[in-house]
Amino acid sequence: MNIFIICMVVFTGFACREVYKPTIISSPDSYLVIEGVLNAGTGPTSIRLTRTFKLDDTARLKGELNAQVLVEGKDNTTRQLTMSTDGFYNSPGLNLALNQEYRLRIKTTNGKEYLSDYVAARKTPAIDSLGFRQDDKGVQVYVNTHDDSGNTRYYLWDYDETWEIRTYYYSNYKYVNGQVIPRGPGDDVSTCWKYSSSSNILLGSSASLQSDIIYRAPLTFIGNGSEKVAVRYSILLRQYALDKSGYEFYEMMKKNTESLGTIFDAQPSEIKGNIHCTSDPGELVIGYISAVVVEEKRFFISSGELHRWNFSQDCPKYDIPNNTDSIQAAYSGGLSIFAQFFPPAGAMRYDVAPISCVECTARGGSLLRPAYW
Amino acid sequence: MKIFLFTIFLFILFAVSANAQDKKDNLISGSFENLSLVEFFQKLESQTTFFFYYNEAHLDSTRVNITAQNEPLQTVLEKVFRNTNLLFSIDSENKVYITKGLKVVTTLPAGFFQPAGDIKPAYSVKDSIIDYGLESRKKGVVTSESKLYEIGTKTNTLKGNAIITGTIRNATTGEPLINTSVFINNNYSTITNAYGNYSLTVPAGKHTLNILGIGMKDTKLQLAVYSDGKLDIDIREQVTTLKEVIVSSRKLININRVQMGIERLSIDNIRRIPSVFGEADVLRVITSLPGVKTVGEASTGFNVRGGSADQNLILFNDATIYNPSHFFGMFSAFNPEVIKDLELYKSSIPARFGGRLASVLDINSREGNKKKITGSAGIGLITSRVHLEGPISKDKTSFIFGGRSTYANWLMGLLPAEYENSKASFQDVNLGISHRIDSTNNLYFSGYFSNDRFALNSDTTYAYSNRNLTIKWTRSFNNRLNAAFIVGFDQYKYKVFRESDKETAFTLRFGITQLHAKMDFVYYLNQKHSLDFGASSIRYKLEPGAYEPLDKNSLITPDIVETEQALESGAYLTHRYSPNNKLSISSGVRFSLFNYLGPQEVNYYAPGLPVTSANVIDTKEYEKGKFIQNYYGPEYRFSIRYAFTTSFSIKTAYNTQRQYIHMLSNTTAIAPTDIWKLSDPNIKPQQGDQLSFGLYKNFKSNTIETSVEVYYKRIKDYLDYKPGAKLLLNHTIETDVINTKGKAYGVELLIKKPGGKVNGWISYTYSRIFLQTNAQDPDIQVNRGEFYPANYDKPHDVTLAGNFRVNHRFSVSLNSTYSTGRPITLPIGRYYYAGSERVLYSDRNAHRIPDYIRTDFSLNIDGNHKVNQKTHNSWTIGVYNMLGRKNPYSVYFTSQNGLVNGYKLSIFGNMLPFVNFNIRF
Repeated sequence: MNIFIICMVVFTGFACREVYKPTIISSPDSYLVIEGVLNAGTGPTSIRLTRTFKLDDTARLKGELNAQVLVEGKDNTTRQLTMSTDGFYNSPGLNLALNQEYRLRIKTTNGKEYLSDYVAARKTPAIDSLGFRQDDKGVQVYVNTHDDSGNTRYYLWDYDETWEIRTYYYSNYKYVNGQVIPRGPGDDVSTCWKYSSSSNILLGSSASLQSDIIYRAPLTFIGNGSEKVAVRYSILLRQYALDKSGYEFYEMMKKNTESLGTIFDAQPSEIKGNIHCTSDPGELVIGYISAVVVEEKRFFISSGELHRWNFSQDCPKYDIPNNTDSIQAAYSGGLSIFAQFFPPAGAMRYDVAPISCVECTARGGSLLRPAYW
Repeated sequence: MKIFLFTIFLFILFAVSANAQDKKDNLISGSFENLSLVEFFQKLESQTTFFFYYNEAHLDSTRVNITAQNEPLQTVLEKVFRNTNLLFSIDSENKVYITKGLKVVTTLPAGFFQPAGDIKPAYSVKDSIIDYGLESRKKGVVTSESKLYEIGTKTNTLKGNAIITGTIRNATTGEPLINTSVFINNNYSTITNAYGNYSLTVPAGKHTLNILGIGMKDTKLQLAVYSDGKLDIDIREQVTTLKEVIVSSRKLININRVQMGIERLSIDNIRRIPSVFGEADVLRVITSLPGVKTVGEASTGFNVRGGSADQNLILFNDATIYNPSHFFGMFSAFNPEVIKDLELYKSSIPARFGGRLASVLDINSREGNKKKITGSAGIGLITSRVHLEGPISKDKTSFIFGGRSTYANWLMGLLPAEYENSKASFQDVNLGISHRIDSTNNLYFSGYFSNDRFALNSDTTYAYSNRNLTIKWTRSFNNRLNAAFIVGFDQYKYKVFRESDKETAFTLRFGITQLHAKMDFVYYLNQKHSLDFGASSIRYKLEPGAYEPLDKNSLITPDIVETEQALESGAYLTHRYSPNNKLSISSGVRFSLFNYLGPQEVNYYAPGLPVTSANVIDTKEYEKGKFIQNYYGPEYRFSIRYAFTTSFSIKTAYNTQRQYIHMLSNTTAIAPTDIWKLSDPNIKPQQGDQLSFGLYKNFKSNTIETSVEVYYKRIKDYLDYKPGAKLLLNHTIETDVINTKGKAYGVELLIKKPGGKVNGWISYTYSRIFLQTNAQDPDIQVNRGEFYPANYDKPHDVTLAGNFRVNHRFSVSLNSTYSTGRPITLPIGRYYYAGSERVLYSDRNAHRIPDYIRTDFSLNIDGNHKVNQKTHNSWTIGVYNMLGRKNPYSVYFTSQNGLVNGYKLSIFGNMLPFVNFNIRF
C-alpha cells in the first residue's frame, strides 16, 4: 500500500520518515539457524548451521563451528555429518531407507542440544521439464512436474545458474609488471562463466488442483537486456517434495521476509519449524528438516532461441601513445589495452577500452569452463 | 381557539364560587394606585359583591392607576381596560368574566337547555385538555414565566399523580430540543428525548416547572396540575450579553442518569476542540474521550474499551455508516454544519441498539429552521462547506441541506513532479426534511451521500462511497405512549479500477447494502415505571468482491466471490424503574436472530479438525431464500444507579452483545480495501459481555463533574487472521481466520467542567486488551496460544481538552494528549536462509512503537455579537501538533545494502497551521 504513504505526502506535505533504532532489538539472543534437506538418495547432503545476528550488525554471516550433527533413524541407525567449511556439515550419501523415519540431532559447542521431529524419508517426483517464455519484459523460466500418485502436492525448488559472458573486444595484450605483453593461446579473457544461486524461496503447490500437476511454476525472471542470456544460460534445478507443514514453514518465511513492511502490510508472524532445543525448550530455533530424494535437472537457454535480446555494453574505444606513463594512467583509470593501433602517420598506439569490455574477469566471471558446458 | 375559550367557559360555569359576601354597595369609590390587575380585582372583591373570574395568564403587566368616585363597575373597567385587549362581562349574579379577545356572553340563547327539567350538564368536561403550547405558537407568543398554566381538568379535589407530556422547541427555529432537563423542585425530573418530547409524572397541585437546555434560556413556568395534560413549550435561545457569564449549575445528568459509560457532545463542544485542518471533526473529538482510542492519525477507526474498529455501530440519523472517513481518516465523513450532537455508548448500550460488541455512536443532524431561511459557509485550506436550512412550509415543514467538497488538487501541484498526475477529491451531501403533521405526528427524511476518489500518480483509481436514506415517523399515541417508526436503505461500496491499458483494465468491487426497518416505543406507566420496547430487522446483501475485466479485450480472468445474504432481527424490552429519587434500575433484554440465507455454496469441515481445504467433508448448494444457518440468543442490558446525595451516585451495569457482521482487515486502521463478512455456518457470531462500575461526584454546585468507571469485558469468537491470510477475493475465508477470545479491562477517570469561562475536561484511561487464539491446529496459534496484546492495546492515555473564553468574541482552545505507543511485531534479528538475508520477528505485538504526544492549539475569533445583522463571521486559526513532535504512525524495516534499517513514519512530522473562515447567515 505505497499509495497510502504517498497519500499522506500529498495531504500534508509533512509526512516524514526517520531512522528508527529501538534499543530493545539491538541486543537479542543469537539463535541457531539450520538450513538444508537430508538427501534420502545417493546424492550428497549438506546442512548449514548459522546463527542469527543483530539488526545493526555489520559482521558477515558466521557459521556454527564444531557442532556434532547426527541423523538418527527410528530403526536405531545413526549417520554422522562432518563439518567441512564454515558451518557446512556434509555427507557424501546418506542412503536413507524410504518411508523410514529420521530425525536430526545437533550438539553445539556451548553444550546445547537440538532435535528435530521425525520425518519420513520420501521420494520426490522427477522434474518433467524446464522451459521459458519470452515477453516484452524479459524471459520467465519455469518448471513442469507432476506426481501420478498424487502424494506430493507441495514442492520446493532451488537452483544454481551459470551463464557465459563474452567481452566486447578481444584482448591480445596483457599488462604485467608495468609491461604490455601479448597474450598466449591459454590466456584468453574474452569468455567467462558466471555463477549464481537462487535467493528466493521457490514454492509450488497443487493442493487446490484435482491432479498433482505443477504447470509452468515460475522459477526466475531474467529482465530484458540482462547479460545472463546474452550468450548462453544454464540452470540446474533441484526439486524437493515437501509435506504440508514444511510448505507452510517456507511460505511463512517467504511472506515475512520477502515483502517487508509498509503501513498496510499484513503483520509479520513467527516462524515455527520442526526443530527444537531440548536443553532450553523456550529457545527459538529456525529451520525445517525434511528427508527426501532430491531430483535435479539442468536446462540451457541460448541467445539464438530468443527473439531479439538487447544486451548492450557501453564500450567506447580510445587510443593512447605507447609510453609507460600513458599506459599506467590508462590502467589506473580503469582502461585496458586490447590491440595495437597504427595511425596513418606517427608511431604505433594502443587501443584501450574500459576493462569490463576487454577482460571478462573484470565482470566477475570465472575463466574456468564448467564441465557441463 | 374556540375549544380553548369554550373550555374556559365551562370552567367558569362549573367552578364553585365562594359567594358568601355581605351586602355591600356595588358602586366603586377610591384611589387605586399602581396595582396589578389581580390586586385590583381582589380589592374590588373585598369592597363589593362582585366576583372576578379571570385567567392570570391573560392579564398582562397592566398596572391600574385610577381614581373612582361612586362609579359603576362597568365604567371603571372600561377605563382600566381602555388600552388593552381585555374584555369583560358582568352577569346577573355580579360575576365578572375577564377574557381576552372574545367576550363572554352571559346569557344563553333561548331554548338552549332542554325542557322538562333535565339537569344534566350540557357538555362533558372529561376530555378537555388545555394545550397552551399550540396556542402560544399560533399567536407567535413565547411562553411567559409569570403566567399560570393549568394542566388537565380542573377539579375540586387534588389527589394522585398526573402525567404532563409535551414537546420542547426552540422558539426561534421551531426545532425540537433534545436532552433538555425538565424538572419540578428537583424532585421530579426528566429529560427530553430525541424528538424533544418529555413526559413527567407529578403530584397534582401547584408547581414550578424548570426547563434547562444547553444554550437555551433557563425557563420557569408556573403550573397548576389537575390531571393528565399536554404542555408544549417554546423556549428562547440564550443570547448572552457581553461581560455576563452564565454558569448553568443545575446539570445533574451525569449523577441522575441510570446508564453509565455514555458520552454526549453537542456540536458546540465539538467545535471547541482543535482539529487537523481547522474543520470541526466529530470523530477526532470522540477519540479524546476517556476509553476511546485510535491507532494513529491516519485512521478514523476508533477503539472503544478494547473493542476493535468494526465493533462500533456508527449511526447517522439511524443509518449505518460503514466507512466514517474521507481520505483514510484525514477528515471525518460528517459535515459539522448539519450535525446537532452525538452520543457514544461505551458501556450501557440501550437495548434498542444491537449488532455490535463495543459501542454505539449515534450522530444526529439538526432539523431545519422552521421560521426562516438561514445558512452558513466555511472555507478552509483544503475543504469548503456550505449549509442552508429553512422552512418549506412555515412552522410545518423545513429542510436542511449540507454539502462539502475538497479542492485538494492544487496541493498536488506543489508536489514533486512524480506525483503530478495524482488526483484526489471527496464530496458529501446531507439533506434532511422534517415535517410536522400535527401535534402528535412528525415525519423526518434524511439522506446522506459521500464519495471519495483518488488516483496517486498511477492509472489505478480508488473510489468509495456511502449512501444512506432513512424515513422516520414519530407519533405520540397518548400521554403515555410515544413511538418512532424507521425504514431505511444503507449502502457502502468501494471500487478499485484501471482503465488506461485495455489489456489489464479491471475493476475490483466490494459492496454492502442493507435495508432496515425499526420501531421503537416508549411507554410511561407512571413516575416509577416506564418501558421501552420495539423490534428491528436488517436485510443484508453483501458482495464480498468481484474482480472483472473492464474491457472486452482485457486479459483479466474474472473472479467473483458469491454474494451473501442474511437477515438480522431483534426485539427488545427495557423496564426502567425508579422507586424513589435515589434508586433507579434499568433492565432490558434484546433477543437477536440472524439467518444466513441462500443462494450460497457452503463448505462443511470435519469437526475437531483444522478448518482447511483438506478437511472439507461436504459442500452444499443452497437455493435462494433458503435458511442456511440460524444464530440467535438473548442479550442482557442491566444497569442500576443509587444516588446518595444529589451530587453523588454510584452505578453498575452488565451488558451482553452479539455481532453478526465482521470486518476483515489484517491492518490496524480502517482501510478502504477492508471487507466485511457475515456470519455463516463456519464463522460464528462474536459475543461479548461487559461488567462496569462507576462513581460520580459533582463539586462546586455541580459545575465540576468527576467520575471513575472501571470495566471488565470478555469477547468470544472474535476473528483474528492466520499469518499471511489472504482476505480479498478469498472464496473460503473461513480457512484463513482463527477464532480468538479476548479480555479487556480498564479504569477511566474524568474531571469535566462543562461550562464557564474555562471549560473542558481532563481524562485518564488505563485499559488493556488481550487476545488468545484457540485454533485447532497448534501450528497456527499466535504466540503459542498465549494471550497477546491486540494491535490497539494502549494502556495509558491522558487527554486534556480545554477552552478558555477570553471574552465573547475570542476564545482559546488547547487539546493535549499522551498515550502509550501501540504494540507492533518487531524484527529482532537477521539470518541467512535460502540464499538471502532474512529478518527474524518477535512474538506478535511483543514490542511497542514510541509513545504518542500531541498538543493542538486554536484561536476562535467571532465577529460582533449584534443579534440583528445579516451575517455572522468567525475565524478559526490554529496549529495542529504544536510541539512538532514526530509521532510515529508505523515502524517498518527494509533491507538496504545488506543492512536492515528501521524507519518510523510519522503522518504529521511538523507543526501544521490552519485557518478557517466561517460565515453564518
